[in-house]
Order: sequence, then C-alpha cells, then structure tokens
Amino acid sequence: MVGDHLVSNLFYGALLGSVYGVATMGLSMIFGVLRIVNVGHGSFVMVGAFTAFWLFTLYSIAPILSIPVALIFGIALGFVIFQAVMKKLVDAPELSTLLATFAIGVFIEETAKFIWGSDYVGFSWDIGTLYLGSITVPYTKILAFVASTIIAGLLYLWFTKTKLGKAIKAVVEDRDGAAVCGIDVNRIFTLSFALGIGVTVMSGVLVTLFVPVGINVYMGADYTLRAFVIAVLGGLGSPWGAFIAGFLFGLFENGSYTLLGMIPGVEPFALTRFVAFVFLLVILLVKPTGLFGGEE
Amino acid sequence: MQMGKLKALVPMVLVYVILLVIGLTVPGMWQPVVYFMFYVALGQAFNIFLGLTGYVDFGYVAFLGLGAYGMAIALQNFAHLGLVAIPIGIVLAVIMSVLLSMAVGAVALRLRGAYFAIATIGVNEGFRFLLVGTKLWGGSEGIVLSGFMRKAFGREIANYLSTFVSDLLLFLVAFLAALTTVVILNKKMGYALLALREDEDAARVMGINVTKYKIMAFITSAAFAGLIGAIAWTLKLTYVFPEDVFNIHYTVEAIVIVMLGGAGTLIGPMIGGLIYGVLKYYLSVIFPGVQLLILAPLLIVTIVAFPEGVAGYLIKKTRNSKLAEYLR
Repeated sequence: MVGDHLVSNLFYGALLGSVYGVATMGLSMIFGVLRIVNVGHGSFVMVGAFTAFWLFTLYSIAPILSIPVALIFGIALGFVIFQAVMKKLVDAPELSTLLATFAIGVFIEETAKFIWGSDYVGFSWDIGTLYLGSITVPYTKILAFVASTIIAGLLYLWFTKTKLGKAIKAVVEDRDGAAVCGIDVNRIFTLSFALGIGVTVMSGVLVTLFVPVGINVYMGADYTLRAFVIAVLGGLGSPWGAFIAGFLFGLFENGSYTLLGMIPGVEPFALTRFVAFVFLLVILLVKPTGLFGGEE
Repeated sequence: MQMGKLKALVPMVLVYVILLVIGLTVPGMWQPVVYFMFYVALGQAFNIFLGLTGYVDFGYVAFLGLGAYGMAIALQNFAHLGLVAIPIGIVLAVIMSVLLSMAVGAVALRLRGAYFAIATIGVNEGFRFLLVGTKLWGGSEGIVLSGFMRKAFGREIANYLSTFVSDLLLFLVAFLAALTTVVILNKKMGYALLALREDEDAARVMGINVTKYKIMAFITSAAFAGLIGAIAWTLKLTYVFPEDVFNIHYTVEAIVIVMLGGAGTLIGPMIGGLIYGVLKYYLSVIFPGVQLLILAPLLIVTIVAFPEGVAGYLIKKTRNSKLAEYLR
C-alpha cells in the first residue's frame, strides 16, 4: 500500500522535478555570468503562470503553446530591467544587488496585484490521463516533463554549439580575459540576464500544469526558496547542475512527504520543507560548490 | 575609550527626546512615533552585524522571531508569578536568540557572500517550517497571550504593558543598540571589523582574529534582535504566529534601513529608520494597499543613486569637515 503510494509519488516527483529544474536554470545562469543572486526570482515564475492563465482563459491557447510567448515576453522584461537597473549594479557590492533584485520582485508582485488582484486563480487543461499500473498521470504533466527536457536540451546545445553561448562561457570563466579577446562583456551580461529571466518566466507556464488552482501574485516566494536550494544543490552558477538537482529535489520532496506523512502528530508538508533546508545547509557546509559543481 | 566619543550620541538622544515629546503631546502621534522607532531600533540592531562586517544575513528575522517566542513562553509559564514574568521573558528572549546565533554563526560564518546569504535564509525558513511541522510552541496556530495576561496581571496593567511599557522599552533598546555601536566602533573590535569589511583575507594575514570579531558582532546583533522581538512583537501585540515573526520581509526592511542610512555608520540606521518608517507609514495612510508599489521603485532609485546611503553621501560631500568627522 505504502509502497504503491511511494512509487506513484516518486513518479510525480520526477515530473515536477524537471519543471523545478527549468525554474532554477535562469537563477543559476544569472548568478554564473553576473554573480548576482536574484532574490526576486519567484516573481518571474509568477509572471509566467499568469501569462499561461490569461492566454488560456481569454484566448483558449493551450499552455504548451504559451511557452514561446512567455519566453519572448520574459526576455523583453529581463532586457528592460537590466538596462534600467541592473546594468549600473553589475560591479556593486552584494548588498546592493540583493536588495535591488528583491525590490524588483516586490515591484513586479505589487504591479501584478494592482492588475490582477490578490485572489487565487487557476485553470484546468484536460487532455486525458495515462494509466500505468498503479500510477495514473494526466498527459499534461507528461507534456510538461517533455517540454522541460527539451528546453534544457536546447539551452545546452545553445551554450556548447553556438558562438554566443561559448562567449557566455568565456565570460563566466574569466571576465577580463574574455574582454581582452574581443568579447563585448556588457552585451553578454545583457543577454544572459534577459535570457535568464526569459527561461524563468517560461518555467512559470510549466508550473501551471502542476498547480491547477494555485496561481496567485505571491506564489513566487515558494519558488524563490526552492530555487535557492536547488541552485546550491546543483552548484550555484551551473544551469545543468540546476536541472539535474531539480529532479533530485522533486523526488526528494515527494518522497519525504510520503514518508513523513506516516509519522503521527506532524504536518508532513512543513517538515518536508524543513528537511530540505537542513539539506541545503549541509551541502553548503560540506561542498558549497554543489553536488555537481567543480572547485570554486 | 575617551568620553569624547560618547558625545556622538548626543544628537541622537535629542532626536529620541523630540520624538518622545511629539508622541506624548500631539494627539494621535504616539502610534506613528512608535512605528518609526521600531524601524530605527531594527536598523541600529542590524547595523552592528551587517554594517560593521559587510556580511548580508538574509535570515536576520529569525532572531527577532525567536526572541518573540522567548517572551511568549515566559509569559505562558511564569505569568502566575506576576510582573516578574516580563524580565524573565526578556532574559529568555536574549538567551534564545544568542544561542541560535552561536549555532548559526559557528556554521554559516564560514561561508561568504551569496553563500552566506542563502544559508541564512535557509536557517530562517527551516526554523519556521520546523515549528509548524512538529507543532512545537503551538505550531502554525502560534501562541495567543491576551487572555493569560489579563488573568495574571489584571485588565488595566495588561493593557498598559502592551501599549505604553512596550513602546518605551523599544526606545530604550534602540538607544542601547546605538550605544553599543559607539563602544564597538571605538574599540579594537571596531578597527578589526573595519579591516575585515575592507578585505577579509588581508585582515587575516595581518594577524587579526577575524572569526572571533565576526562572531562577536553576530551575537551582539542577534541579542538586540531578540529584545526587539520580545518587546515590540510579543509584549505589544500579545500573540506570536510563525508566519508573522519569521517573515523575510522584516529582514529586507532591516537591510533597506541600514543601506538607506549608510552601513557601518553610527547615525545611518537612525536616518534610514526614520526615512523608511515615515515613508511607509504615510504611504499606507495616503495610498492604502499600494504603498509597496510606490516604495519598491523608491528603493531601487536609492540603491542606484546613493549606494552609500544618506550618511555615506553626506560624508563624501562634506569631506574633511567636522560634520563628516562626526558622521563617521
């Protein structure tokens, strides 16, 4: 009984984990290139979720088709934010960038609240369910998994095969060296920030396939914190590490939820999060460069 | 330490007195004044760590939260002893936040920069979920004390405690935090921390025991946070909920205040606390519901235009003058 339950929860965890992975890649990318921790990360996930919600309810556009729209919208948003604020803070101390990204997150949330109100909304996109023995999964979640994997794969190809992707890698390795080699570092910064935000907004669309009625202007906070845990797990600054760590985190979250639920007198959901943070601290102490990261 | 250095506190005390007088004499001003004072106290307390070391503790509110619980537990268990419960609560609040800061400090202070910031968010969130998950201290239902306090102290005294006494104690805590900052700034510890903030590795090579001073500043700052949590939250509001007292927004507000005023300066947190408190209060009065929408861009402009805060900006503008000497 418990075994069945655990297996199906772990399966779900893996699907959800792939979305967590994509939701964290943008954070890792921005940290990797610009050394900026985006504390307002979750608000961009929220923007993506609302994009999917509105395109679906207003124009009946399937969420899977909203993905490219969200990407383009996110890139534009990231570009504007970078030009308006972050550009001036690239070399500023940590304190300034942490605070600026937080303020940007608050601004986005409050603007969203102004436009959409603070109620929980949701939509359900039903295209049937897959039956696999004791496991039943809606096709939408499988699609989310497939989309996440494709997105991660495309990003990987872009980074390793294109000139621009390689230029970004060079800037990550050595800013000054890259500049000397004729790479326009400022352009790379703009591009990475915009793309990082784009990927994050895009992940918000995928998230809606897992939280049918959980769309809210303040939903981002949860994703910011999860993304921190996942990013550190995968090695801050490594988008691939983040994607793999997302999987692990999804498995871990759903697995521990099932197991903790068997202990009487506790709230398993909260305890799962507690365990996740303990995990985070242990990783930071033992190997701050993450499970898959190299040496700093 | 020369007595002369304490003179730096005089204008600050003057401001406190003026605020007190305004609060007591102008009708309807007491609550706003106390509201501003909360932010001044928060800034002063946080400045001892963030301002002096340059480390960003993104989980600072955990210490306020634990202090709030310390007071709540003391009131719950010792209210039958009468008013002695309050000093017990204050002591317990400080002990609890100091113990947590020692544990966190020993572990997290080995990390730097973004890693330290993320680890400290982890501590705060982890603690909150631990309380809710294990249903410790009431779990998500928190601790509600108004009934307890009324039964133990009588209705009038209980009211008096949660209005006037807690507010006055807050003034005292803000002052003590400023005094502590002056003392630290003028001792070996202050110079060591200054060296650490500029270049930790260089300071270490020069033979300064940076770890020791870092942890000392961390613990001191946490102790004041515990006091603020116990006084301005539990004693004043008479309830404690984990969702409220571990809310990361308070950490950010503390960072904003320190930055706005000028990190590491004595007078900065007071300027920052007043600006922030006044803005937030009046924005929420004039534009209820959208105050954050206005505050957020203001914040961004401040970060970009005045990265060193108001005090830092003034020091730069009035270089080599007496004012700059004082502001430092």
